[in-house]
Amino acid sequence: MVLWLVATAIFIAIRLIPGDPAEAIMGGPGSQASAEALAAARAEYALDQPVLAQYLLYLGKLITLDFGTSYSLKQPVTQVMGEVLPNTLWLSLLALAAAWLMALCFAAAATRSNRFGSWLGNLLEIIAAAVPHFWLGAVLIMLFSSALGWLPAVDNGSAQGLVLPVLTLALPLAGFLTQLMRDSLAEAMGSQFALAARARGESRLKLFWRHGLRHAALPALSLTGWAFSSLLSGAVVVEAIFARPGLGRSLLSAVLARDIPMVTGIALFSALVYILVMALAEGIERIINPAGDQR
Amino acid sequence: MSRTAKILSVLVVALWLLMAVAPSLLAPSDPLAINPTQAFQKPGLAHFFGTDESGRDIYTRVIHGAGDSLSIGLAATALGTGLAIVLGTVAALSPRWLDEIILRVLEALYAIPSLLMALLIIAFTGPGVGPAIVAVGLSTAPGYARLVRSQIRSLKNSEMLEAATVLGRGTWLKVKNHLVPNALKPLLALVTLGIGQAVIWAAALSFLGLGTPPPAPEWGAMLSAGRTYLHLAWWMSLFPGLAIVAVAVSATVIGRALGGKVKSL
Amino acid sequence: MQRNSRSSRILAGALALPIIGALIAGCSSTGSTDSTARSKEPVTGGTMVYASGDAEPSCLDPHVGGNYPQALVASQYLESLFTKDANGQIIPWLAESTEVSKDGLTRTIKLRDGITFTDGTKLTAEAIKANIKHLKDPNTASSTGYLAVGKVVSIDVKDELTAVLKLSAPDNALLESLSMPWTAIESPKALERDQATNCAAPVGTGPFKVKSWEHQKAVNLVRNEDYVLPVANDERASSTAYLDGITWRFIPEAATRYAALQSGEVDVIDNAQPDTISSAADAGLGHLDAPRPGSSNRIELNSSKAPFNDVKVREAFIRAVDANTGVSALFFGTAKRSNSLLSSVEPLAYSDESLFTTDTAKANQLLDEAGWSERDAEGYRVKDGKRLSLRFPVSTNQSVPAEQSLFEQFQAQAKAVGFEVKIDLLDLSSWYGALAKHEYNLVSAPYTKVGPSVLRVLYHSDSTVPAPSGYFANNAQVKDEKLDKLLTEAEETEDEAQRASLYEQAQKIVLEGYYVLPLYDQQNHFLYGKNVHGVGTTTAVSSPVYFDTFLDQ
Repeated sequence: MVLWLVATAIFIAIRLIPGDPAEAIMGGPGSQASAEALAAARAEYALDQPVLAQYLLYLGKLITLDFGTSYSLKQPVTQVMGEVLPNTLWLSLLALAAAWLMALCFAAAATRSNRFGSWLGNLLEIIAAAVPHFWLGAVLIMLFSSALGWLPAVDNGSAQGLVLPVLTLALPLAGFLTQLMRDSLAEAMGSQFALAARARGESRLKLFWRHGLRHAALPALSLTGWAFSSLLSGAVVVEAIFARPGLGRSLLSAVLARDIPMVTGIALFSALVYILVMALAEGIERIINPAGDQR
Repeated sequence: MSRTAKILSVLVVALWLLMAVAPSLLAPSDPLAINPTQAFQKPGLAHFFGTDESGRDIYTRVIHGAGDSLSIGLAATALGTGLAIVLGTVAALSPRWLDEIILRVLEALYAIPSLLMALLIIAFTGPGVGPAIVAVGLSTAPGYARLVRSQIRSLKNSEMLEAATVLGRGTWLKVKNHLVPNALKPLLALVTLGIGQAVIWAAALSFLGLGTPPPAPEWGAMLSAGRTYLHLAWWMSLFPGLAIVAVAVSATVIGRALGGKVKSL
Repeated sequence: MQRNSRSSRILAGALALPIIGALIAGCSSTGSTDSTARSKEPVTGGTMVYASGDAEPSCLDPHVGGNYPQALVASQYLESLFTKDANGQIIPWLAESTEVSKDGLTRTIKLRDGITFTDGTKLTAEAIKANIKHLKDPNTASSTGYLAVGKVVSIDVKDELTAVLKLSAPDNALLESLSMPWTAIESPKALERDQATNCAAPVGTGPFKVKSWEHQKAVNLVRNEDYVLPVANDERASSTAYLDGITWRFIPEAATRYAALQSGEVDVIDNAQPDTISSAADAGLGHLDAPRPGSSNRIELNSSKAPFNDVKVREAFIRAVDANTGVSALFFGTAKRSNSLLSSVEPLAYSDESLFTTDTAKANQLLDEAGWSERDAEGYRVKDGKRLSLRFPVSTNQSVPAEQSLFEQFQAQAKAVGFEVKIDLLDLSSWYGALAKHEYNLVSAPYTKVGPSVLRVLYHSDSTVPAPSGYFANNAQVKDEKLDKLLTEAEETEDEAQRASLYEQAQKIVLEGYYVLPLYDQQNHFLYGKNVHGVGTTTAVSSPVYFDTFLDQ
């Protein structure tokens, strides 16, 4: 349902662009597309037919995963996406995992520390969440690549090349997740159940694992869909800065070249990813929290 | 959250507003004044934050840039909030089928992250301040709308409302005087949290070259220019970056102080 | 004969390394000061990593479209019929000899024997025919190559190695046109494939060949084991390249690209930023300065609409800005101010400094004379209620950050005398769109071509007529009958002295009409690591060829 809405929105948007829709598909008024190319575009998208016919054709193509041909790259969109997708997915998954790891560690540490440590940790989380990707990436490159020479600045195929980009993507998310978890954790650790357990002599750490973790994780889980999408968003900037091939970089060049078929493909794909991740997260949530109690 | 932090944040925000509205009070010189012979000066007494590649004073530009950067963030948030209130209220009060449709629309908007949404819009309209505002606004709307909707739904059955109905107040009046104001308080907290993010996304767009045109001292554009000279003049990147982080941080602190829970996003 | 028959630009005093032939022959190219290089014997082996700051081309065949990023990579696997020697003279390369009829309408080209393409096809006159046909075919969508062979009407194959070209008018720039990568010779068999396949791996005769193209990652080139140097070099130990291959990557972010060079992840970068060039020697990096031929980098003033339809206003703008200070400050001395329409590698470039000295008093005076004597509340001049406003679309693809900053400086300086300059930073597509719709008063659009015939492409009134796509090259909208005659004659005459004189007169007309503000040569700087040697050979369009390059093992 969501996909349908997004697809329809894009269809309408293309029709709304002033001027010839064939030109728009071919990259905008300055694309210098030849007359033959425009004619081919018209035929492919059935632009001479009534709007309803065009719309059905458009939907039909999408269902068969035919996003058309990228104007700027002269290749089928699905092919280009297929080539670059794994990189972005890999990067995002690693960043998600790293962010979760960091968040859990910090949240756990937060329960054990004193007032000052708690205040400091709070501040750091907020700062981390507020740092823009493009600034963080540049600073990390300066520090770890140019100045210290420990890590490579660009993708050279090695695992080392992944460290800085993953870190850049993961840090702001980690800050955000930590804040999230901390709230729930505080609630959980302060609840009747927790107090009773402490009274029984259970250690803080054990309590955290058995009880707190579930409660801390739940809100973070339900936001995983959103978190993953925001990682895809961040990937646009990170891939640009670290010169990594990926969906984000493709999207950026597609937008700059006004390559509508490419943009459409990527937009629909990210919507799809969001839905899948949400479904997955809901599934995990149900496993962790079968009783379905309120968080 | 300690009192000190809250007070500090309020002060910072007041400072930002001052910078946005009356920058000349804090930085009397012209942010656009070039001085090629004074290019790439380190931070010092003459130039607190140093100078850029055309000899422009960075301190002055950061102060004056507050207006540009903040206004985009605020405008986008305002758009998102307005949209959210309308959609959320309608959704909460309408029959089930309409509610479902609106929820799906919100879900669709939610599925596309802010920057991607901005890029999508820009792919169709071309770059500029307008598309940036629309894009960031649209992407923040769903989260707020959901909150408004759930607040209103729970208030729908509240006692206050029953009393109003008994007294014979019309639907419109009920909405205006009871539902909306009560839904707004938690929204305010959330929105404040969101302003910081909005400013960051706006700066990101400028960084990618899709925002305000030169020579405007917008923070994202300054960061973009600074990147080219990063190893030569680190101050060109550091200070605008700090400004962005500071705004986002203070917005977050205030938002949380107002009771906003991050998980409601 | 040595490989340095191709033109090479070596920055005097920099760490540019001499061509290997110099070691043995003992005659080095100018200005080489790197002592370590002299003692180095070339070693075979290793894959060089190259990082380009340009956008990844959409097609590796420079016949399609025809821009500089394509030329840079194609120079490794494609060769042209002619090239330039160290003195800037056009000499045969894949061709062996050439002659032209008395009336200038028939050009005969004889090819060298014994050269094959990497797909096994022999280089014959059929190839010349097939390639020129390919360039002229609308389906190929060639811009640069198409214009270059514009006067060729037909090609006859006289015998296996001889082709006869019939021209519509005498064209003394034809050989220059055939020396560019955009008219390079590809295998006719390969050209018969569909465009997508040919774009992914064009087949040529060059020292390298395309192994694969991983989009957004790299173009992988490998050594052409069957390479034959068209002009034999007996002093060279092997007839093939020293490098096993080249990994051609694209890193548009300048800071990242430079960081990668510093850390050794890449060996050579292009589009080096001015401040990194000036500190290259200290950083232990090599530097190759190879200004592109054709036009200089300049700002064109749109004389077809107000306010620049008045020559006084044009001169006022030019006098108001201070290009000298801006260029020297922003480019750290790596770019020299040019006052000519043509690149400094063009022997026929003419310049007159006095036309372009900054003089704000004169600028104000001219504007007053032109009727723009009133000012509005913000300090901008007005006339008949209209503000003196200029639109300046700037393409982030064409203008490096230093150039964008230079334009911002002009904006501020022009403001001081009352001009309002609006800079629009646009992506390439929107930029072309703005130009096509005449939505500009100022624009900077560099044009690379070998030889002064570029002046006709840029300033003849025919060039104001848009192609079907809307594109036209005469952005200054110069429509001067006398100029047109000079430019047409200059391309048809066989007398070198007359050609030089005609082009000088033509340049004078454009410069004195204040249609153009020349800035500097089209910058073409390359930086390379300590481990890289033998960099310096370039093609006629100043793109490096890495035939003599080798890496420390």
